[in-house]
Amino acid sequence: MSAMLLNKEKWPDFVGKLTGKKLWAPQGEGEEMRFAPVAEGEAPALEYGNTRVPPKQVVFPQTETMFRFQLGGEEVEVPEPEEETVLLGVRPCDARSMAIVDNLFGWEEDDPYYFKRRELVTLVGLACSEPGLNCFCTSVGGGPASTEGLDLLMTDLGEHYFLEAVTKKGEALLKEAGDLLEEAGEDKVKEKDKIIEESAGKIKRSVDHEGVPEGLPGLWEDPLWQRVSASCLGCGTCTYLCPTCHCFDIQDEVEGFDARRCRMWDSCMFGEYTLHTSGHNPRPTRRERTRNRINHKYSYFVDKFDVIACVGCGRCINLCPVNIDIVEILRQVKEAL
Amino acid sequence: MDLDKLRETAAEVAGRDDVKYLIGWKKGSYGYRIAPAFVEDAEAAAELIFSPLCTANLATYLTLVEKLPLPRGQEPDDRKVALMVKGCDSRAVAQLLAEKGIHRDEVVVIGCPCPGMVDPDLLAEKYPETEEPAELKWSDDGFVIVRDGEETAVPRDELLAEKCRLCRYPNPVVNDIMLDDPVETWEPAEDEGVTEIEEKEVDGRWAYWQEQFSNCIRCYSCRNVCPLCYCQDCILDRLNPTWVNRSVNFPENTAFNIARAFHLAGRCIECGECERVCPANIPLGKLNRKMAREIRDKYGFEPGLEPEGEPFQASYKPDDPEDFIL
Repeated sequence: MSAMLLNKEKWPDFVGKLTGKKLWAPQGEGEEMRFAPVAEGEAPALEYGNTRVPPKQVVFPQTETMFRFQLGGEEVEVPEPEEETVLLGVRPCDARSMAIVDNLFGWEEDDPYYFKRRELVTLVGLACSEPGLNCFCTSVGGGPASTEGLDLLMTDLGEHYFLEAVTKKGEALLKEAGDLLEEAGEDKVKEKDKIIEESAGKIKRSVDHEGVPEGLPGLWEDPLWQRVSASCLGCGTCTYLCPTCHCFDIQDEVEGFDARRCRMWDSCMFGEYTLHTSGHNPRPTRRERTRNRINHKYSYFVDKFDVIACVGCGRCINLCPVNIDIVEILRQVKEAL
Repeated sequence: MDLDKLRETAAEVAGRDDVKYLIGWKKGSYGYRIAPAFVEDAEAAAELIFSPLCTANLATYLTLVEKLPLPRGQEPDDRKVALMVKGCDSRAVAQLLAEKGIHRDEVVVIGCPCPGMVDPDLLAEKYPETEEPAELKWSDDGFVIVRDGEETAVPRDELLAEKCRLCRYPNPVVNDIMLDDPVETWEPAEDEGVTEIEEKEVDGRWAYWQEQFSNCIRCYSCRNVCPLCYCQDCILDRLNPTWVNRSVNFPENTAFNIARAFHLAGRCIECGECERVCPANIPLGKLNRKMAREIRDKYGFEPGLEPEGEPFQASYKPDDPEDFIL
């Protein structure tokens, strides 16, 4: 792994070298920032906490057309593969979430829609020097400079970005940047390490999940689920904004004779989730649905893929309209074990 | 408000044999957050609060409970639900009663006269949240933030929520128990947000809402938090036929948001919850207040004031001038 320095004044030139690829970066204002395509010739400023909608939307769009067809027709048209895309300024938790979700979409058979995009995406990360109030990545296997899932990691050193290639894709980016970069000396490595260490120290929240994956199924009928779900509104905020939530629904949509089969994000917090044709729903109330959300992240996924499906980004806590707080739920789970 | 009195009253009500539980507000898990509290006994009543942070309209919980088929031989639990309400929240209760969405003997309404709430986003922007739960109080001319034993006084105008600036009914319009003397009402501000959009040309209005609705992620938090969106079978959930496609794009998002605005016309009591909970920051309040303004101007009707009144959409007057329909 080579470590390089990029003077921030040369950032627009660095971005300019990425021609021929589609660029996405956090855009918008304040807390409403989201990943969106960068206008040609522009270099996005990477001054933000984290985006409200996670970058999973790029590899797993909220609505995706699987194929188009004509009513009464006999042919299907499959959309062309996307172009090569570079995501700039991905937070380490969000990159880690993609590495985690890869397990699911690659389970037994690769999901072609997901991996088609995933393989065309290069993730350029930005280490966190100012973690948010509800960040708890360090207690679920991540950290402010975790490189898992990333191709290249940048750390803001004030005047410079400190660049570390993680994968071959990342190395290729560094090579393309060529003489814009300078070698990072030992002092800069130390400076970067110090920033990351301080950043990790600023993370105040944590979950203690020891024994939780094995213990959760035993709490199936525990009164805690009624308690933590009583105020749940059953909206999709927590799941839609979760970088690891990956449930989807498939629908056929028709306009005139033009039809398309598409898949879109689904949420286990909705009443129609797992609703059977018969009218029966194995998760009939918000209690069962909340229990499913926690079990899925902290037990089922661990059982299947040996990793917690929560990266500690804090979005579900920040944006829940009624202060349902996953850290607090995990505390109660731990207490009940 | 005297918190001891609030907790005493709540403990008494929650302890009644004919009350299932009481819904009120309690301190949340951090910062300025407030969480709804479901109080079943006197002990739990001790955590209840009423402060300028209690923006949430808890009336939505009256209709949110899933009704499952009962096992054979089991009697339904038809004890009452007790609910703490501000002025705006009480209008939701009154409207639910008028629509017969709930019945009067199903609820115990505990009225909290409301001097006005803070705007939580504005508060966090000006006085950043910390992990410690903070307290807010009312003072004679504003709010006081209490954090780590330190008090910061803030003038009312600096933090007062938009819905409260526009509020005409800060005192509960329906109640069984009042926790305090009514507050003095204030001159409601002009609704400049709505006027500003009304003054735009059609193209400008369309462009404005196009931008807003394009941000919608269809989480349905606006619908779910709305005390008056309580259809058991919502048009948006229908799949056969599908009235609104699940695809998330501008046309479908618009169909969803407009459908909701229309279904709330003459029913929205302007509690502002839809706008507060929207993770995409869509100014839904403007949309619903525009509908309310139309109904008020054209028909002289305001919802949520008369629990036994006739709901607007179910009323017909033979002397309706119909001067704009025909």
